[in-house]
Amino acid sequence: MRRRRVGEGVLAVPAAFWLVAFFVAPVALVVWYSFGYKPGLFGTHANDVLSFGRYGEALNATFAATYAQTLQIAVIGTLAALVIAFPMAYWMAIKVPPRWRGLLIGLVLVPYWANFLVRTLGWQIILTPDNLLSRMLEGVGIIDGPLAMMYTRAAVQLGVVYNYLPLMILPLYVALDRLDPALLEAARDLGASAWRALWTVTLPIAAPGIGAGTLLVFVPLMGDYITPAVLGGARGSMVGQLVASQFQSAQNWALGSAMAVLLVLTILVTVGAALLSILAVRSVVRANRAVRLPETAGAAA
Amino acid sequence: MTADRRPTDREREPLRVLLPNATAAHLSRRSFLSAAGLVGGVAGLGALAGCGGDSKTSGGSTDGEIEDALSIYTWGDYDDPQVFKDFTSEEGPRITLDGFGSNEEMIAKLVAAQGTSGYDIVVPSSYYVKQMVDNDLLMELDHDLLPNLENVQSEFADQEFDPGNTYTVVKCWGTTGYAYDSQAITRPLATWDDFFDAVQNEASGSVSMSEDPGEVVFAYFNANGIDQNTTDPADYDAAQEFLVDTIAPHLQAFDSYPGSSVIPTNGRKLVQVWNGDSRIGKLDNPEPDRWQWVLPAPTNLWQDNWAIAAGAPHPVAAHAFINHVLQPEVSLAELQYIGYNTAVEGVEEAAADAGVEYPEIIFFTSDQLSTMSEGELTDLTPRQTKIVNAMRAKAGT
Repeated sequence: MRRRRVGEGVLAVPAAFWLVAFFVAPVALVVWYSFGYKPGLFGTHANDVLSFGRYGEALNATFAATYAQTLQIAVIGTLAALVIAFPMAYWMAIKVPPRWRGLLIGLVLVPYWANFLVRTLGWQIILTPDNLLSRMLEGVGIIDGPLAMMYTRAAVQLGVVYNYLPLMILPLYVALDRLDPALLEAARDLGASAWRALWTVTLPIAAPGIGAGTLLVFVPLMGDYITPAVLGGARGSMVGQLVASQFQSAQNWALGSAMAVLLVLTILVTVGAALLSILAVRSVVRANRAVRLPETAGAAA
Repeated sequence: MTADRRPTDREREPLRVLLPNATAAHLSRRSFLSAAGLVGGVAGLGALAGCGGDSKTSGGSTDGEIEDALSIYTWGDYDDPQVFKDFTSEEGPRITLDGFGSNEEMIAKLVAAQGTSGYDIVVPSSYYVKQMVDNDLLMELDHDLLPNLENVQSEFADQEFDPGNTYTVVKCWGTTGYAYDSQAITRPLATWDDFFDAVQNEASGSVSMSEDPGEVVFAYFNANGIDQNTTDPADYDAAQEFLVDTIAPHLQAFDSYPGSSVIPTNGRKLVQVWNGDSRIGKLDNPEPDRWQWVLPAPTNLWQDNWAIAAGAPHPVAAHAFINHVLQPEVSLAELQYIGYNTAVEGVEEAAADAGVEYPEIIFFTSDQLSTMSEGELTDLTPRQTKIVNAMRAKAGT
């Protein structure tokens, strides 16, 4: 790691340029706008007077309630994606013969390459009360009236899990792919139950994948705008729609920017708090699990 | 005759729930979810690009020959495609179409581009025209190139927002009402007050209101005898309290186009809807009489207008197109497709002769007209979005 030379930094220049030009600069502009104001009916933003006023305006009951709904959808969605993706990734990485793995990864990815909006509109059609799924469920007696799922928070929940599932499966697969089946066999030979082997061997090795997948799903999910707009109706709104409504309908870029900055900050705080609590739990678990060798053994070594 | 080559209303299958039409619903007029809306970020990038330059291109001149292209930026699915084809085959210019979901979106794009948007024709609603003129977003029309301007009905020519049709020509106009499934709501409804009463009773949980924040707030004002263009903040406070606390918990969705799939499949009991869209919904329902269209009084009247963007690269073609659609037979084709009154002299009689269905949802009597009023921009207009956002937050709890 230490052998890297200065000149090799050149390799990072294209990406750095791209990120500065198309990520840092726009975000900085949004932050800048957020300190401005809307100069009358026909303007979208002005920055000749700077203030935190838009933040005060954004932090109201509407934002708080919508943020709470968004957080709930995102946390449940991320956990659901994890629970659904883990067995799939485990099966793909451990159980399936290697020659089939490329095909399976392709099958996971191909739907993901389809347009996000079109996939979400597809669910709109499936969930419509007057449709095949509704009639099938009614036919087998699971529901006793037309399906009433469209335009609810449950529809948004289903939509986001579907839309972001590949982002959970892939990092889990990559992590589990490194798991040598011999380790599991060794654990079983030494008397561990299947659950114990999962807990002490598989999960620690999968941990980086779980972390990466959770972030990859949770962060974009918090900012999702298309899924709730298509499936949520009046009852499944998310914060992304609030931001969009300020830019597109109220034409108040200053307030929209302040909301966007607040959304980014609250996501960072939420992720940071989650990471800290995971680290705390891990250190406690490690302390409890630590195997202390007898003094004499240490002295003999 | 363009009308001969397109399917009649009856021939439209009630299959609009299927994908292409579900997409179309979100590309339709005034939908905030238009494709253009979803790539709103692109407009943002345009704004970035536009920040640097203050040069306004003058665009083409109207003295020359007709150009070979024409770019139209309009509400989605708002013209008969056959009209575009006929124009290209008769006059030459190839047409490029782009869609927007709200006036604000269109204006934001034109402002950001500073006359370099590349759009020729844009279609603003009346109450935004003055703002656009003040901000140099529109080009003065050359009336020498618009001989068919004389076909416009006199009450829709030379209007207050654009004296002498200096910048705009009426495209069509419509109004806002509601429609209900008469099997679910068996009592007759007639006013906005009835609408809100049904929302809280038999239609609860199966109601949608428009995605246009103005329409949602106007419905409250019109139910309560308040001028919909009120500038009294207390009226807005009352509207917010009623709409958020009393109405929001009963709403299922904000949907500007229930006619595209909800009315044809009886998917909801009660929907706020523009007249043309409710008519399309009835036409696509196997039992059209099940749906009752209601025109409450007073209510909102809106008008959309042809205009040419400042810096338009193809101004001659743009004039030629506007002139083209002002021909009576083309205007009739447009009316049959969109279901809104195109305000060309004699179009009502022509529609009657052509057997257009449900003319009462397209054409209104002078008594009905006298109860409608046009929306205006006021200093309180931005509060409409806040109220709707608060309704969304409340509905989800």
